[in-house]
Amino acid sequence: MTDTVVTAQRPLLETSERRRPVGLLLVAIPVFLIAWLIIWPIINAIGRTLWRADANGDVGFTIASYVKFFSDQYSVDNLAVTLWTTGMCALFLLVICLPIALYLRFSAGRLPAYVQALAIFPMFVPSIILAYAFIRVLGPNGMADILLNSVGLPKIRTPYLTPWGPVIGLVWDNIPLTILILLSGLGGVSNQSIEAARDVGAKRYQVFWHIILPRITNSILVALSFSILGIFSSFTLPYLLGPASPEMMGPFMQRTFREVNDPIGAITQAVITFGFCIVFGLFYVRSVARNQGK
Amino acid sequence: MSVLKITDVSKVFAGNTVAVDKFSLDVADGELVCLLGPSGSGKSTLLRMVGGFERPSGGVITIDGEEITHLSPEKRPTGMVFQSHALWTHMNVFKNLAFGLKLRRLPADEIKRKVEAVLELVGLAGYGNRLTHQLSGGQQQRVALARSLVLEPKILLLDEPFASLDQHLRERLREEVRDIQQRLKITTLFVTHGQDEALSMADRIVVMRDGRTEQIDRPDVVYRDPKTPFVAGFIGTMNLIEGTVSNGVFIRDSLRVPLPIADGPAILAIRPESLDLVAAEPGMARVHRVTDYGTHGLVDLDLPDGERIKSMVSHPDLFKAGQGVDLNPTAIAAFRDKMQVYRSQT
Amino acid sequence: MTALAPSRPRLDATGIGFAIVLTIVIVLPLLVVGTWAFTEVWRYPNVVPQQFGLRFWNQTLGRADVWSALTLSLQLSTVVTLLSAVICLPAAYAFARMSFPGRNILFFSFLAGHAFPKFGLLIAIAAIFLQLNLIGTFWGVVLIQLVGTLMFMIWIPVAAFQGVDRRMEEAARDVGAGPFRVFWSITLPQAAPTIFAAVLLSFVGTFYETEGAWLIGAPGIRTMPVLMISFINNQMVIQYGAVLSVMLWVPSFIALMFARRVIGGGAFARGFGG
Repeated sequence: MTDTVVTAQRPLLETSERRRPVGLLLVAIPVFLIAWLIIWPIINAIGRTLWRADANGDVGFTIASYVKFFSDQYSVDNLAVTLWTTGMCALFLLVICLPIALYLRFSAGRLPAYVQALAIFPMFVPSIILAYAFIRVLGPNGMADILLNSVGLPKIRTPYLTPWGPVIGLVWDNIPLTILILLSGLGGVSNQSIEAARDVGAKRYQVFWHIILPRITNSILVALSFSILGIFSSFTLPYLLGPASPEMMGPFMQRTFREVNDPIGAITQAVITFGFCIVFGLFYVRSVARNQGK
Repeated sequence: MSVLKITDVSKVFAGNTVAVDKFSLDVADGELVCLLGPSGSGKSTLLRMVGGFERPSGGVITIDGEEITHLSPEKRPTGMVFQSHALWTHMNVFKNLAFGLKLRRLPADEIKRKVEAVLELVGLAGYGNRLTHQLSGGQQQRVALARSLVLEPKILLLDEPFASLDQHLRERLREEVRDIQQRLKITTLFVTHGQDEALSMADRIVVMRDGRTEQIDRPDVVYRDPKTPFVAGFIGTMNLIEGTVSNGVFIRDSLRVPLPIADGPAILAIRPESLDLVAAEPGMARVHRVTDYGTHGLVDLDLPDGERIKSMVSHPDLFKAGQGVDLNPTAIAAFRDKMQVYRSQT
Repeated sequence: MTALAPSRPRLDATGIGFAIVLTIVIVLPLLVVGTWAFTEVWRYPNVVPQQFGLRFWNQTLGRADVWSALTLSLQLSTVVTLLSAVICLPAAYAFARMSFPGRNILFFSFLAGHAFPKFGLLIAIAAIFLQLNLIGTFWGVVLIQLVGTLMFMIWIPVAAFQGVDRRMEEAARDVGAGPFRVFWSITLPQAAPTIFAAVLLSFVGTFYETEGAWLIGAPGIRTMPVLMISFINNQMVIQYGAVLSVMLWVPSFIALMFARRVIGGGAFARGFGG
């Protein structure tokens, strides 16, 4: 009996008070890593590019490194080609993925299942293998040339080592997640709402424009934001498939950091990519957080 | 020989919602007590406090005189059957039942013997190797019951165990559980919001509302002699008519019923089966609709001011919509200030 | 009765069109890689190789740099995955089942890394590692890849733990199991398939992680993908890249298919904000 009474003072299942420190303790290491390796580098990068020692050694606020970036024609060209590539990829992704997603949403059977499996497939192909396959197919004397030659047609102008190389590779790489996100958005459009619209006499494109599109606008924006974040600072595919000059921001930053050995220049470029992507980044994160909150 | 004693137990949730308010109840050895009430009445919270899954804000719970109020669930001699049965899907039936016994470090052959005995008891002999998803809903609930029984708890707790089953199965399991409970003479606390379940199974019913007891009585008493208008309305069908008493007569519109209580407002309670009808023009009420159920009929009546009341009649073909009737109650009760103030002798 | 007989299925022209185009665009390049891996001689402009054979498998597998890169990559992936599991799984459990101050803010702080373009972030981290002399070291690469797995290894297990029916845990307490026993015998087995999938994904993801390894690791740390980059850039023998691709891709493909089956496409997309 005395035993019972003593143990009876132990806290119970849902008594949060006593457990608080334990919970904090358990999440401490990952949270610390996030703070140290994500939050701090960002703050540090912004700080180091804005508070720098000038010629006299006095540390003060300066935008010199940014002025240097934007007054350098080569840097500006690189930024321009990055923006062009990102824009092209976003456009192609939308044009390719939206029809496929619409088709998959409104059909059932083995053929759509096959189409879906194919569309998701690039997710399981690491970009390094993709780059290799690209060169073997679209590179000089690649499979495309072989096939064209066998039917007596001239060779293609290979996109390998041109700005189109990264565009093709990045679109290929981003198709699966774009389609998955769009499909998840299309799942929220009920068959009844479409049948009701057809019932009152809406034609196919009217149904798409007035019923489906408003419902999936958010998903389209999420998909594009996610792709843009990935593409804007992509490294592997532009490095392997793109031209040496102008180069995209990813390879440019890498070269500035490792080969030119100019960390300040590299983090200036990094902060500039942050600036160009911040809207998409915040929008994407907000959507994920809201989704998770449900 | 186990007695559950709940004394002045309260539960206040965050935000100062009072779920259970100074609740007291004694459950005698081998008794099956039903906690009956609408959702939000605190019945489940009370059961979970007995099981140890909620911490009482105040009060004392004892089993056989030993206090268990703040004991964690694994240290209590209680066995709980959950509404969703909560079987462990990664274990087969045998392992589900053996888990608690293994924790008690029983030898393997004894575990086997006990598990087989209890499976036999719930009518699932030979099902030990089945996976839980290979069982029907009723079988899953039997396994959940067996999982509690195999540990021979002093108190069995059932939290709406049949809520997820269909009507037919529910009635069968209800009888089975009652049989098993009586055979083992296990003290049982049973939570339900279904009055049929409470009326058919319980030795005593506790009608709860807003965390408080409205009435504790045998099922037939709760039905015949509700102590509050809430109990009267919650159990079975009851005509509750608000009116005033003047000189020993209850008056509502054209309705007049002798009621020997002091003058003032009152609620008159009449079961449909205790309200006889006599054809009369214009009569106290008018027939709105007659429904023939074969064995009996139900007549919906309107008082002139629109109040709708029901009467159960044995010959529904005698009445037609639109005709006038006089009302002749054979048994009545009356409430004032939420308490029973009069009940006619039958 | 004839009305009930199934009408001839309408020709799904759109579907056939998509299927053909996607087959050409997605399957063909990989088939070409597969063919190259088993080719000994394939001179332009022949449509099929002149000579098939396994000669280049022997040559590739005979290279010391391939073996050291493979060993290093396996070591890295194992260390990163284990570390990640050790620090993330308890955190995931805490996020899923405990309440503590700042829980939501801390939970969503794992999203911070996704609000910024990845390579820019890597450069910012590399600038810090440069001051700490972590560039070109094994542990520098471990750290950078660990950060990459964090969100995955927290969010998926959190969903797994939250998916475990609390009543199951309560039922276990009821039959006499203490909190740790409940976690070990009920919660963990229930959440195990999903957690296993997350661990698998983080292993495969780390194995193929190229950018962090290249930026932080070079020149001392040469992982498999980094080796492939040099094979592709230097183009010594075409088949080396093909053999490595086939050799490395098939097992990871099987692993990823398994992971996706457990987690499910819907949850996959949701995790990415769909």
